[in-house]
Formats: sequence, C-alpha cells, structure tokens
Amino acid sequence: MGDGDRGGAVAAAGREDLSRPSGAGAERTPRVSLRGIRKTFGSHQALRGVDLDLFPGECLGLVGDNAAGKSTLTKIISGTYQPDGGTIAIDGAPVRLSGPADARARRIEMVFQDLSLCDHIDVVGNLFLGRERTMGPFLDRARMLEEGRAMLHSLDIRIPRLSAKVEKLSGGQRQAIAIARAASFDPRVLIMDEPTSALAVAEVEAVLSLINRVKATGVSVILITHRLQDLFRVCDRIAVMYEGVKVAERDIGKTDLEDLVKLIVGGERH
Amino acid sequence: MTAYSERAAGAPVLDFLGEHAQVLSIAAFFVACMIFFTVTTDTFLTVGNMLNVIRQAAPILIVAIAMTFVIITGGIDLSVGSQVALVNALAAILLAAGVPWPVVVLAMLAFGGAVGLFQGWFIAYQGIPAFIVTLAGLSIVRGVALYLTQGYSIPITGVPGFLSLGRGIVLGIPVPALIAAAIAVIGYVVIASTKYGRQVVAVGSNLEAARRVGMPAKWTLSSVYLVSGVACAVAGLLIAARLGSGSSNAAVGFELQVIAAVVLGGTSLMGGRGSMLGTILGTLTIAIIGNGLILMHISPFFTQIVTGAIILIAIWLNTRIFTTNFRLGRR
Repeated sequence: MGDGDRGGAVAAAGREDLSRPSGAGAERTPRVSLRGIRKTFGSHQALRGVDLDLFPGECLGLVGDNAAGKSTLTKIISGTYQPDGGTIAIDGAPVRLSGPADARARRIEMVFQDLSLCDHIDVVGNLFLGRERTMGPFLDRARMLEEGRAMLHSLDIRIPRLSAKVEKLSGGQRQAIAIARAASFDPRVLIMDEPTSALAVAEVEAVLSLINRVKATGVSVILITHRLQDLFRVCDRIAVMYEGVKVAERDIGKTDLEDLVKLIVGGERH
Repeated sequence: MTAYSERAAGAPVLDFLGEHAQVLSIAAFFVACMIFFTVTTDTFLTVGNMLNVIRQAAPILIVAIAMTFVIITGGIDLSVGSQVALVNALAAILLAAGVPWPVVVLAMLAFGGAVGLFQGWFIAYQGIPAFIVTLAGLSIVRGVALYLTQGYSIPITGVPGFLSLGRGIVLGIPVPALIAAAIAVIGYVVIASTKYGRQVVAVGSNLEAARRVGMPAKWTLSSVYLVSGVACAVAGLLIAARLGSGSSNAAVGFELQVIAAVVLGGTSLMGGRGSMLGTILGTLTIAIIGNGLILMHISPFFTQIVTGAIILIAIWLNTRIFTTNFRLGRR
C-alpha cells in the first residue's frame, strides 16, 4: 500500500526518514495523532516537538535509548502528563486529556511496566480493579468471576485458579493479567511499557501472541520495548526516539535489526 | 517423544490452608489458651466469667476492628487511646451539663469521626506518615482531655438510659458485647464483601495502582482514620457507661493493646494483608490470657510480661511461617 519507493530503498542504510506514506494517511484517520508535542521538566527538555500518528488495528513499536522520551510520550497519551505544547487529536478531533481517568474514559488504556497489580487481591479482583461489579455496596463476586473467566478465555490466557492471590502467580501470569485487564474493557488504544522485559521464554511468546490477538480485534497498540527482536513479531511500524525527538519511523517490512540499532544509538546522524 | 503435560492443580484444601495459615494459627493458639485455663482453674470456663471477659474486651474489640482497616492500608493510629479518653471525658461533661444522652451519643460519634478525619487529611492529602500524625494526635488529644477535666474524674449519674449501654444485659448478654459483636460482623462484611473494603485493601496493597485504576485513593486512605475515630467514640462511650464516670486518664495504653490484638491476628503492618477473623481471635486471646492469669492468682504485673512475650513469640512464628514458603502437608 502506497509505498512506491520500495524499489532499491528497502535494504539501503542511511536513507531518509520514512514517514507514514501520505497515501495511506489519507485513506484512514489516525486514531491518535500527536503534533509538535513538547514537555519540559525544569531545565530538562523531555520532548522537543514530537509528531506521531497511530492508526486503528496497528501495533506501533516505540524504541529508543533510556531517557529518549518514550515513557514521557506514552504518559502524555495516557493522560498522566499534560504536554507543554503541541496538540493531541483522537479520531481527528482535538482533545485535551485532563488526567488518567479522562484518558481511560476515552478508552486509552496503559499497561505499566510495574504492572500496577495488587498482590493481596485475587486474580478476578485485579481484573476488575477500579471497575468492580457491585450489587448496592456489595461486590458481585459471582458475576465478576464469570466475566473474568470469559475475559481470560477470549484472550486465551490460562490461570488455573482465579481466586488465587496475584502474589502467588508467576511473572508471565501477572503480565497476562495486567494485559487482560487493560485489553478487556474494549480499549481503542492500548499502551504497553516493557511488557516482556522480565519474562521467561515461553512467557514472552505468550505475551507476544496475546498482543497479536488484541491487535486483531482492531485495537491500536503502542509497544515500548528494548527487545528489538520482539518488534518484528508484532509491530507494523516502528518509531525511533532520540533525545526527546522522533528521529525515524519505519514500516516493519523495510527495516532490520541492524538498521534499528543504528537509528537508536544515533551513530549515523548525530 | 516427550509428552507435554501440565501440572495438576493441587488440592484446594492446601491452598486454603496456605492462605489462611495466620488465622488458623491464632485460632489454634486461642483454643490452646482456652483449654489451658479451663484445666488449670475452676472458674475460667463459666458463663459468668466468659461474659465478664467479653464485656471487658468489647471496647478493645471495637477499636481493633477499625484499626484493622487502618493497618490494612499500611497505616497506624496511635491516637486511639487518647481519642477514647477525650470522648469519655467529653461525654461525661456534656451529660453533667444536662444534655440528653441520645444527643450526647450522636454528638460524640460525629466528634470522633471529625477528629479521625482531621488526622486522615494530614496523612492522605498532606503525605505526612501516619505514625507521626497520630503520635502528635496521641499527645494533643490526651492533652485536650486533661485540660477539659483538669485531671479530675467526672461522675455520670441520673441517666439510666446511658448507663445501660455499659451495664445492661439483653438476652443474657452484656450490651457492650452485643455492640462489639455487631461491629465485628459489620467490619468483617465490609472488608470482605464491599466495594469500599476492596478499595481499602487495594490502597494498602498498591496505592499507585489503586490511583491509576481510578479509585479514590486519597479519600479511601483518609476515611479509615474516620472509621477509627468513630470506633474510638463508641469505645469511649461504652467505657464511660460501664464505669459511670468520664476521665481523661481512661484508656492509657489502650492503643498498644489494640495494635497488639490486630497484629496477633495476622494483619500485616506493611499493609494489604489483613483478617477481621484474626483480629477478633487476637483480641479474645489477649483478653482471656489476662483474665486467666488473674484467676490463677498470678500477679497482674506478670500479666503484662506474659502478654508481651506471647505477642512476640506469636508474631515471630508467623513471620517464620511466612518467610520460609511454609506448606502444611505434603510438598
């Protein structure tokens, strides 16, 4: 689609930034569109004018060295931070996100690196944390158990005992619960910060296939990861951050590991 | 070719034992104490003595239920003894001034809640550690009580309705025990089965996660001190009604008994993990130890030593059990 410059450019290193081809952009309205986003913490310019589009049903990989601005950018999309400059548009309409609750109301969900699970609450309770099903002031346990089981089943996540405390579960299971929690309430944008960093091999595979299943339901996914090989398994596009700016954007079919590493460390242009 | 198979799920009873080990251990200890004192004294296991024990334990139990909420959030309320004393003294002053007793009761409940909420505001919204805020509260509130009474005890006379709260007997059971039992049941249901209880546990388990999922984390955190303040008011009123006087020197060391009961019941001072059933058993265990040692004609000073030692040993055992991947039964 729309990539007429495919010819010799595919394998070429050091080519120009490949922005989203304009043809494709015109076909679809981006679900989230960031323009000129700036954010300063004291004297530190965390973001220096970032443009980024996120389309429905795609997975966008966000890579860059530590302190490149990846987390700040996602926290702006998830409402945790307000940008100092620039605009955010959702489905083409400009918005101002007042906080995490506002972003959540617009169906932007985030899976935090620390997972944000409550260890002392059971699996079902964590799935419904903050959205408890109730009858009057009382928890509707039966309904939550039933819905929770369906949520996990639809994402093909197997947890033997839903009444187990989360602290008893493995890292992969905890990760799966955090993703299921974010993915199950019909999000339009799902942001995942380092979802595979602490996982064993089989668990990484499970999370990656989970991302693909979530994506297939039409959710726009932003994936932050240092595991570059994972990007090629799930992402459609990759945006590279460097020192608070987006230095490159690549379609997944037109890049490789070597190219990405060069872009991330900035060896060839900075 | 190796067949891939999954581990069979363990017997549910083992999961149950693992998750409730602390409550089970305090329950076993409680039963052991009951048996010990029943065997070693003639009067321990009599209806009269048992009713006496629960009447005396009622104020501690009421505040311990509230303290369980506080400690589940990872906080602590050191000011409960002072709050009990202030309500105790203030109630006597108001009754002596001729205020109708139902009005005094309601006013004291509101007052206790306000004192608790004031402390909760500093803790939740100003980020001052609960230990510091309530330590200051311990001093200030006791000081106010002493100032109001000038250290004197104020008699409560001529209000039989009020005094029956502490001395009355309904269906053969002392009124304070009935009130304490009702509050224990409410506390148990709230923490286990309500949305508010879930928020309290979530805030204690992971405050940031609770905030991120949109729970009213700060309000929840401050509200447990309100609960504690109201419970202190109930306890202060019951003590005033039982003793027939209000004194600023009431409930000295009360906070330590309450915290001991909660911790003995298996509630973690780190927050997140707590058990109402454990708190009830912890309170009753401390109460029967005190009662049983007196019946055995052991010096009341010795009771303090034994109580302290039992708390240390019980918690040491619990800590060992929980840090060494304890399993009951086969591995």
